[in-house]
Amino acid sequence: MNADEPTTPRDEPLEPHPAEGEVLYKETFRIIGNDFEHGGEAAARVKAILKQLAFPTDAIRRLSIANFEAEMNVIMYADDAEMELAVLPDAVRVTFADHGQGIPDIAWAMQEGNSTATPEMRARGFGAGLGLPNIKRNSDEFSISSIVSVGTTLCYVVYVNGSNRGAQ
Amino acid sequence: MIDRPHAVATDPGKCIGCVACSQACPTKAIRVRNDLAAIDDELCIDCGTCIEACAYDAIRPRTSSPADLRKFKYTVAVPSLTLYAQFGDDVLPGRVLHGLRQLGFDETYDISWMCEMVASATDAFLSESKGPWPKISVTCPAVVRLIQIRYPDLIPNLVPIETPRELAAKLRRRRLAAERGLDPSEIGMFFITPCTAIIHSIESPEGLEASYLDGAFAITDVYGQLLKAIKHDPGSDSTEMISPRGLRWAMAGGEISSMRNANTITVRGLRDVVYVFDRIESGTFQGLDFIEAYICPGGCVGGQLTVAGRYLAQRNIRQLARRMGDQGAVKEEKVRSLLRDHFFDIESEIRARQVRPLARDLRQAIALKREKDALLEHLPRKDCAACGAPDCETLADDIVRGNAKLADCVFVRLEELEGKPALQQGGDDA
Ligand code: SF4
Ligand code: SF4
Repeated sequence: MNADEPTTPRDEPLEPHPAEGEVLYKETFRIIGNDFEHGGEAAARVKAILKQLAFPTDAIRRLSIANFEAEMNVIMYADDAEMELAVLPDAVRVTFADHGQGIPDIAWAMQEGNSTATPEMRARGFGAGLGLPNIKRNSDEFSISSIVSVGTTLCYVVYVNGSNRGAQ
Repeated sequence: MIDRPHAVATDPGKCIGCVACSQACPTKAIRVRNDLAAIDDELCIDCGTCIEACAYDAIRPRTSSPADLRKFKYTVAVPSLTLYAQFGDDVLPGRVLHGLRQLGFDETYDISWMCEMVASATDAFLSESKGPWPKISVTCPAVVRLIQIRYPDLIPNLVPIETPRELAAKLRRRRLAAERGLDPSEIGMFFITPCTAIIHSIESPEGLEASYLDGAFAITDVYGQLLKAIKHDPGSDSTEMISPRGLRWAMAGGEISSMRNANTITVRGLRDVVYVFDRIESGTFQGLDFIEAYICPGGCVGGQLTVAGRYLAQRNIRQLARRMGDQGAVKEEKVRSLLRDHFFDIESEIRARQVRPLARDLRQAIALKREKDALLEHLPRKDCAACGAPDCETLADDIVRGNAKLADCVFVRLEELEGKPALQQGGDDA
């Protein structure tokens, strides 16, 4: 692994697990590239699950924005992906591992306003040029790695702020 | 939590327990137990869908009764604009207002001009607001209720401007009290409503400590008598106050059509409202300034408690607005001065009413979720609703909350009768 250049793609998709802790609940969803018809469904299902589990609305809101963005990224740019939801005692971790074109320049893609969404995509309300930075902004931990022509692995965590849980 | 009765009630004498309402209810608030539909107060948004779904007339709106009028020294009928849309071209609003007085009200009070004022006030608010975007209209109380229970994150998006019906009642009550030397509580103001959502908003308002209205009569209930009164007496009240532009509020699209800001959309019908709100919650639609959303597919002309039906009513309103000249009746300085006085502001915070999670404790909630998923594996997934819950998933949810049992499912019972163990996980003691 090339530790000296953090933004260059790694040789292997890494398994980032920024938030450690016992996984209390896990569920995976499959997302298919170009499946605009079902765009946003995985994010909506995750939202419904977290509501049942009494997560505070702010955490759900931030996570939902990130999830929707990440899900649409797959639909717009990748062939397919597995989205894993992991509920930890005081955080939710989501990992997207996709197969697809990958991101040649992560540093560029992480800059606000840089998006390769086509005008048609934007007109349909997707890819407002926010993409990855928006996911990062709405999560508490964020990591990404990508191999061109292989795929991208994205992992982010939203903390529920333990003391707030269950509060009105 | 449950602070008020809902605007819909089941009649045990008429309900046969057919489950049509329970399957139609968008928030899954209805369970049919012992051949009687029961409405869960926490989940109901008073959309009135169940009233339309019931073929036995067993779900009725809780409206005011003529006896309620006698509690007041002076009574005012405040008709929804949709009332004007129930009649053909030969019955103009002046005659509707005149006829309404014959039904026992001391006066009638039109709200079309207030609709126009609120549109201007909304424009002014949007030009000064700092977000979050898009802002959402509070006109339809069922939409507000839906946001409270299902989209609490969108509460800051609600426009903090009171509805025209409440503002009109507030203003008229104040003036009447002064003019006639009455105590405000001696004046009874009754809305003539197209829907149950508004009835409930009078009973337990959001954004107000107490409604400025005292009750509501359904358009369906007054229609027959009103028609008779109109035929009997050709008189007409003054329509000087009526704003043709404000009249458009009765239909979906009317609110934004009388606004200056055009970066707006109209969302009609519950399915579309859910679709759009889901997306706003995920951070899209932020480029819009304003959303006018109605639970009823055509807007208020399509309310469940109306007679003409939404297509004809829409045509009637459009025709009416055109005949009356289609212009505004409100002076902008007036709006600006009222804005400065905070006349339009909602008076209290609209709060989330989050619907119960499986459990407050995370581990416990996860345990229940697993249990629910396991149950769902064993349920037939036919969503037949024969168990009394609207679908299999809701039954599983009810079971883990202790409100139902697996044997409520007819398929499970059938399997048991046929000797097949319905649930493997029970082990020996099954
Ligand atoms: S009024 Fe609407 S939400 Fe309430 S029970 Fe009827 S269908 Fe359900
Ligand atoms: S759209 Fe209008 S008639 Fe229908 S529920 Fe909402 S306020 Fe009532």
